[in-house]
Amino acid sequence: MSIAPVAAIEAAATILNPAAAPSPTQPSTSVPFSQMVTNGIDGISSKILNADASVRAFTLDDSVPVHQVTFALEQARQSLELMMQMRARLVEAYQQLMNMQL
Amino acid sequence: MQAMEISRTALDVEWRSLELIAQNLANANAPAASSAEVYKPLQLVTATKGSFAEHLRRGASGMGPGDLLGVEAAAVRANETPPRLVHEPGNPNADAAGYVAYPAVDHAEQMTLMIKSARTYEANIVAMYTAREMYSKALEIGRRS
Repeated sequence: MSIAPVAAIEAAATILNPAAAPSPTQPSTSVPFSQMVTNGIDGISSKILNADASVRAFTLDDSVPVHQVTFALEQARQSLELMMQMRARLVEAYQQLMNMQL
Repeated sequence: MQAMEISRTALDVEWRSLELIAQNLANANAPAASSAEVYKPLQLVTATKGSFAEHLRRGASGMGPGDLLGVEAAAVRANETPPRLVHEPGNPNADAAGYVAYPAVDHAEQMTLMIKSARTYEANIVAMYTAREMYSKALEIGRRS
């Protein structure tokens, strides 16, 4: 007697009754898009500040291992790249809307 | 970027390990008057990151690993191998019988550990690069021009 068959039945039940299962397309909380963007930019900003602080700590005294500094810099760079990609897509979408023939 | 974070914990651990090896090698020839006060080689004890209670719970219930948090330096342990006693009556550190205690640092062992640490460090940096490349590739999804 194990638990696994019961779990399998429950999984089948959610397949048979899709209304009971949580829908992935419906966001559970209604956060405005602008709020999401602002939160993301705040996160990126904190990562850049973090990298800045670790560079400063490393120049003051090198008790911090180098890899922590380069890691913080790399993380900041990646976040910035993600933000630039987001910006490119937003501008693209905006331009497509502006070019719409009415 | 969980993958890079995991690699970073391993880099921290290997860095610490190398510090201990450097300390052991630096003190390899530091004699002392008695076996009690001679330098004891240090070794790093590493452990998978995560709380002990969490590991115990998952182990008992047969669940797989939980959040992947990498590795951490759990403790630094002094190696209790008895020191080398060398007969050097002229040495100022010699005891009444003319013996000097040298730390039980095994050079071959330390060098092997050092190479192992350096290689593990490299391997984790390569894993980090791969994660970064995958991330950059993912950013290219759907990009025009």
